[in-house]
Parts: sequence; structure tokens; C-alpha cells
Amino acid sequence: MELNKLTLIDAIKGIKEKKFSSTELVSDCLDKIEKLEPILNAFVTIDKDNALNQSKNIDITKPLAGIPIAIKDNFCVKGIKVTASSNLLKDYTAQYTATVIQKLQDAGAIVIGKTNMDAWAHGSSTETSDFGPTKNPWNPLHLPGGSSGGSAAAVASDEVVTSIGSETAGSIRQPSAWCGTVGLKPSYGRVSRYGVIAMGSSMDCPGPITKTVDDAALLLSIISGHDPKDATSINQKPWEIPAPLKDLKGLKIGLPKAYFPDGIKFAVKEAVLNAAETLKKLGAEIIELDVLDPKYAIAVYTVLQRSEVSSNLARFTGIRYGHPRSTFGDEAIRRIMLGTYTLSSGYYDAYYLQAQKVRTLIIEDFEKQFKKVDAIIGPTSPTTALLLGATEGQSMFGELEDMLVEPSTLAGLPGISVHCGFGDGLPIGLQIITPQLREDLAVNIARLFESNTDYHLQHPNL
Amino acid sequence: MKFTPIIGLEVHVELQTKSKMFCSCDASHFHAIPNTHTCPVCLGLPGALPVPNRTACEYCVKLGLALGCTINTETFFERKNYFYPDLAKSYQITQLQKPFAINGKITIDDHEIRINRAHMEEDTGKSVHQTIDCLDSTLIDYNRSGVPLVEIVSEPDITSPEMAKNYLLKIQQIVRYIGISDADIEKGSMRCEPTVNLKVEDNGEVFYTPMAEIKNVASLTGVQTAIQFEIDRQTKVFEETREVKSHTNKTTRGWDADKNQTFLQREKEGSADYRYFPEPDIPPIIFTDQEVEKIRESLPELPEQKIKKYKEKYELSDYDANLIAGDKHFSDIFDSVINGKGETLPIQGYAKFLANIFNGAIRTYLNENALELDISKMYNNYFWNLYVAVSESKISSTVAKQVIVESYQTGKDPVEIAKEKGLIQVSDSGEIEKIAKEVISQNAKAVEDYRKNPASIGFLIGQLMKASKGSANPQLAKEILEKLLK
Repeated sequence: MELNKLTLIDAIKGIKEKKFSSTELVSDCLDKIEKLEPILNAFVTIDKDNALNQSKNIDITKPLAGIPIAIKDNFCVKGIKVTASSNLLKDYTAQYTATVIQKLQDAGAIVIGKTNMDAWAHGSSTETSDFGPTKNPWNPLHLPGGSSGGSAAAVASDEVVTSIGSETAGSIRQPSAWCGTVGLKPSYGRVSRYGVIAMGSSMDCPGPITKTVDDAALLLSIISGHDPKDATSINQKPWEIPAPLKDLKGLKIGLPKAYFPDGIKFAVKEAVLNAAETLKKLGAEIIELDVLDPKYAIAVYTVLQRSEVSSNLARFTGIRYGHPRSTFGDEAIRRIMLGTYTLSSGYYDAYYLQAQKVRTLIIEDFEKQFKKVDAIIGPTSPTTALLLGATEGQSMFGELEDMLVEPSTLAGLPGISVHCGFGDGLPIGLQIITPQLREDLAVNIARLFESNTDYHLQHPNL
Repeated sequence: MKFTPIIGLEVHVELQTKSKMFCSCDASHFHAIPNTHTCPVCLGLPGALPVPNRTACEYCVKLGLALGCTINTETFFERKNYFYPDLAKSYQITQLQKPFAINGKITIDDHEIRINRAHMEEDTGKSVHQTIDCLDSTLIDYNRSGVPLVEIVSEPDITSPEMAKNYLLKIQQIVRYIGISDADIEKGSMRCEPTVNLKVEDNGEVFYTPMAEIKNVASLTGVQTAIQFEIDRQTKVFEETREVKSHTNKTTRGWDADKNQTFLQREKEGSADYRYFPEPDIPPIIFTDQEVEKIRESLPELPEQKIKKYKEKYELSDYDANLIAGDKHFSDIFDSVINGKGETLPIQGYAKFLANIFNGAIRTYLNENALELDISKMYNNYFWNLYVAVSESKISSTVAKQVIVESYQTGKDPVEIAKEKGLIQVSDSGEIEKIAKEVISQNAKAVEDYRKNPASIGFLIGQLMKASKGSANPQLAKEILEKLLK
């Protein structure tokens, strides 16, 4: 029956209306996983028996009753291994459950497995996973993007109906762009970080990677809300799904020139400009913007994130967790070294402090832009999915791939990436950035774009 | 050569909050079964996040105010990165750039010791070294990990080991007064790390010896002896080597309480780099001016203020005032007993009487029996009743001391005890005269002696007191005997 091909919303409907059972849905997903994993390697752990058992005993009144969900392997789920795709944690079983997962489970969802990622979320390719790269379902010779590449590939290939990823800068949106899924990165603090293995703590943000905008909105409404266990979580009630807009009349949407840098793939530029046309037809006024060059964001992000990484990974001392620090992969070691350097006495002022000052300038620039426009659009990534091996010897690979999402990340802004075209048979992503806590607007623009295009209806031929 | 010690103290005080600094685990750890007060946060498990304990922050502000500090109303936490097996996250959450409290002072015998800062941080776990299956092993107990800790850093204004001890006692007194910790050095809820070096004046030239920080001092006397040892050691080393302080020769020395000496632990302390940076997991901590004022208002009367009041208002001696104010329990009950009688009578007499009873009979009794003061056994009206009885000469001051202890033990009114035991002084001259006449008739020899030598009246008074079972007012007895024998 291939129930795995359903969207989240349709799967919920099917189970509630008893058109099929949760067990049938879970089984179809597991079949597909079994079939595709030798090619894709989207999963680090598949919790087959537990998922099947749980599917037999569901509470139909719950919003996600019996829905299997794939979770990026940096979320702790008590009793299941959590490795962050690293050899250092390959034998570590989570001792408690992350708030996001608890909320999903309380809503009736079933964790079907943990998805592959760049080790410790260090990257934009999933190629730095200590357990081998994940492949792009549209063309397995290509990368899925990252770091939530496993979640995006699992959704794009219909191994599952829906998934959760996390983003520090681009890790939800960029793999969504490359895999043709919807990636919703909420405002920093909208969703609890408790139980997510920390990468860049001041930017880390869990969020959904899904087949449609409505699926993403539904998941955000469930995983968001204040968490007393996360001091940086915003004191707000769970986010509510906004009523849809009929059109975009009266909305001003900014198109920054700087988001089309030299070397941008032509098909990407074309698809995003076409998308702008679509939004214009829906009533939006498109305004060209002069924004701060994203290259500054790369520098700032690199310094801040490496600094935080060097401290966050220090707890893996080799005494606990079973494996020595020499188990860290090259990318983790590079980041720890750079972060240790930028925090060192004598360099702190020149790097960390300076980066914080520029971060403030970036935030102010967005505030300025949002006085002129309601939302900003642009390509999520300057390219389509690159070939396997593209990251080798490219220690700044992720930063260049993510240069168009890093500015909004540093400002803690919400953003969504939706499928807006193809280049050489590979998906292209359109990102929509809105002001702090205006996920409603991003979702509504994305929803209208999606319902007026058919890219999201296309599936890879696997 | 003239040597002057330069001593600064870092004092750590564990706050007695219900829960730990950044999680909801029970913060009490003394004698708890190892690793039972732990959770993902204080174990530093991947993904766990710290949430600051507001009460602990308030306690830190409260202490800052009691130490006369300026309060930073907008502050933040920082990470101090270093490796140690019992440091769960490999960084300690603490404060460097903006402590809650800065620029305070403490006065000891007219000598001012400036306080640089009082900041908030978390305690580490505890390494326990044991031999297990013939192997030297180190076990880690995380019960203490994340317990709220205030670090109080003095300026190097202390000039002698004794002053260091008094400074510590003062901090302990203040901490106990404001009720944020039991500050027990033996239990480890108050810890002290002195840093010592010497100013050397030699033929008009001035030198400074290399600084040494002393660790593992676990008692008040230990602090004093360790500092004295270090002063002597540095004096000797300087005389031999004439090595002076530099940026790289600060050392860390451990205190060996058995051998009574310090030993070298770490050299080149100056080169440690903790890579401090603002803790990204915790937003800035903000206290409004109103909140700070509210905390200031909640401060109890502090020892300094109490001593002043006892001396000026109650006219107590310096000795009595210090002794009573020195212990919060004693001073609280003292104030409560005094206040129980309001401000109507000449309060100084009553205060003096109470000070004698408190610092004499009760303190002696507690000390002799190694007991802590139990304020529930102290009844305001008993003290007053006793005072009235003594003022009216119904009870002698000797008897008063005896019955107040018995009252403390049994809960009975001391005056009632005196009555039951026939210890009430008879000041009825008719009654005493009757007894005196009997004594005179029965002691002809003593009467004869008296006539030869009036100083020997003591024997007759003694006989009279005996016959009255000690209840006669001795002064009155003497007067009556003298009158009858004229």
C-alpha cells in the first residue's frame, strides 16, 4: 500500500479514520527503510521492535497517534543509543529524553529510528558522519546536505512520513533544499534545546523536516513552547498554526542582491527569481534589498560556533562514555582547536568579542530591513546537491554552503525552506525569513507558494 | 631586613538552598549516599542544560549587601574551562567579568580589609581516593556537583595569620547571621584558600617574595598555622635565594595537616588559561533596584550593629557585647528576652544581669557538656522572674546561676526551683533575728572569740546560714549578729 508515501497530515487522517492502522503504517515505513538503507544510509539506529510494539497500543485521541517519526541522532531518547554520528558516542545509550521528543511522544508519536548526520552536527553534507555518508535520494551519487542530512533524505525518499532535525546554521534548511523537503527553522528559543547534544549553544534550534508546509506547521505547534529546563527558551505558549492567507496582497517581500553571490548556480538563481514571480502573482510586492554582505556572517558564525564547540565537547574526556578523545574525527578536532584558540587569553578580544560585536550589527541590519519589508526571500543554498566527496579538503565547506542562512541564524530569526525547482534533476530550495517569532508569516507565505506550485508533489525515483 | 606578610583570602561558602545551582537536585550532600543526588544536568550528560537557581542568586546579593558591596544588578554567568575528573562538564559555570557583588569591606579591630568581590558559581564533584582490589582508585561522587557556591575574594589587606583567622570568623559570623549557610569549615561548607607572600624591606630597597596559594586547609587553626608556616618558609627561602615575585612564579601549595607543613603542588600558576566566555545557555541575570532594596530590607541586624547597640544602649562591656553578638543564637535569644520586657525599665541593669547569666552559667554549662544552645528551652519570663528575685535579694546571684541551669534542663521556672529547694533568701529581719539568737546561744566559744577579734564573725554568719539552710540574706545576717552582740 506504501503508506510511507503519505504526508504527515494524511497519515494522521488515515489512522484516525481507521483506513489503516498505525502498525500498517510503521510496517510500510520499515519495509521501505529496509529496502533503501543499503543505498541511502539515512539511519544510524532503527528501533524496529519498539516501534512495532508501540504501534499496537495507541491512543487515537492524541494528535500524532501512532505516527512513526525519524529523529536526528543528536536528540536523547531514553533507552535508545544517541551517537551524534560519532565514534566517540557509538556505544552511548541516552539516560533521559529530550523535551522535544517527550512532547512528540506525549502527542502519540513513535520514534522509529535515529537519523544520520555530520558527526556532532559539524558540517553541511552528512559526509563527515563517522558512520559513512548519507546519499541524496534524488541521485545517490550526490550529498543530501547536512547536518540533518539523514532526516531530510529519509523524508524525501519516503522511508518515513516525517522527521525532526536541528539547525545551528542551515542544518535544517540546507539539506531540505538539497533533498526537496520542507525545513522549518524556528526562532531561537521557540523550541527547547534540552536533551539535544549541544553544538553551538547560542544558535542551536530543533525543528521539523517534512513533506509539506502543513506538516511542518503541525509539528512546530507540538514541539514548541516554554521549557523550564531550558533557560534560553522563550516564555511563550506553544506556537499556534495560523489561519491560511488567501493571497499575499499588501505584503512586502525583500529580495537581497547579496543573496545571489558570484558563483551561484544558474538554475538556482533562475528558480528563486521564478519563485519571486510566483509570490508577486499572489499579490506580494517584491523589493530589492541592500543587506550586509553574508560573508561577514560566515566569519562571525565560524568564530562563535567553534568557541562554543570547543567548550561543549570538552566533557567527552575519555574517562566517561567509553572512548578516548582521539576518537574524535578530523572535523571535530579542527573545530575544537580553532575554538580553543579563539577563546585563549590574548586572542579572545580579537576574535570572540569582535565576533559578538559584528553579530550585533547583523541583528541591527535585519531590524533595519524589516522596517522596509515583511519577509526576506532568497536561495537557501547557492548550489544544488554536490557530489559525494565534495567536502574533502574543504574545511570551510559548510560555511560556504550555508552562507545564505548564517546571517538569519546569528540573528535568531525563523526561516523556512521550500522546494522551488530543479537543476540537473536535483531539488532547489527557496528560503523565507521573517522577523523574530513571526513563524506564522513564514509558514503562510510558504503555504501559498506550495499550493501554487507542484514541486512538493514530485518524488525521487528510487 | 624587615618582612611584612601580605595575605589575601579566597573563601568559598556553600549556600544552603533546597536545590542545586542549575538543577532541581537536593543540594544537601553531607553524608549522603554517593551519586544519589544527581540528574543529567549535574552529571553533565550530553544535551542537559543549566537553569539558574534564583534563590541562590538572591543569597549571593544578600551576602554582598551584608559585606557592604556594590551590587551589579545586570550580570551574567561565564564558563571557566579546565579539565578535572570531578568537573562534570569540563567547565565550571562561574562569574569573572561581572560578579554579583564588588567592592565591600570588613573591619577587624579597626583594620579595614577590602573585599574585591563575591560571585556565584557551582561546586564540583568530589574525588574519593580508595584502594579497591589492591588498586589505587579514584571514585567520583557527583552529589556535590552543582551545589551553589559563593566565592568571596579579599584584597591582600591581611597582615597576620591571626587576622586571617579573625577575618574568616567574621565572614562565618555574617554568613550565619543572614542564614545562607552553616559555613562549617570541618564539613566543607566553608573553605578557604589563602594566598601569601612577603614584602621585604632591606636597606631602603623593597622586594616582594613569590606568591603561594595554599590549598586543602580544612580548619580554622589550620588556616592560621598554614599561613604562619608559609611566612616562615618564604622568609627563609628569600634569605637564601632572594627570589622575587614575577608573573610566572606563583605556586600552588597543599597543606599537610599531619606534618603541619605546606608542600609544592603546581608551579607556574600564572600561565593557566581558563578560556572564560559568557555562558550561552543562561541569559543575563537581572535584579531591579526594588528587588535589591527588598533583599537589603530582609537583612537582619548584623554583628557589628548588635555590638554597637549592646555597648551603647545596654552599657555592656566590650567583652560581653562581643561574646553575645558573636553567636547568632545567643544574640537572638538575648534580644528577644530583653525586648520581652520592652523599654520601660532601666534596661541596663537587666541587660547586665542577662549578660552574666548568658555568658556565665549557661555558656559554662553548654561548654562543659559540649551542647549547642537550644533556644526552645529559654523562656523570656523565667529570666525576668529571676532578675526580679535577685534584685529584691530573694535569690543570691550564686543561687541564680545554679537554678537557671536547672531551669534550662527541666523547663521549670528558676524561682520555683529555688523555692522548692528552700534557696529563697530570708530578708525578714525578725525571722533572721530569731535564728541569730539561737546561733549565739549555741556558740558561746565563737561569741567569745568575736569579742576578742571582730573579724571572726564569719564563723557565726556561717552557722546562721547553715541553720537557715542557706536561705538567709548574708548581708542582713551579718548586720543582725553585729547588732545583737554589741
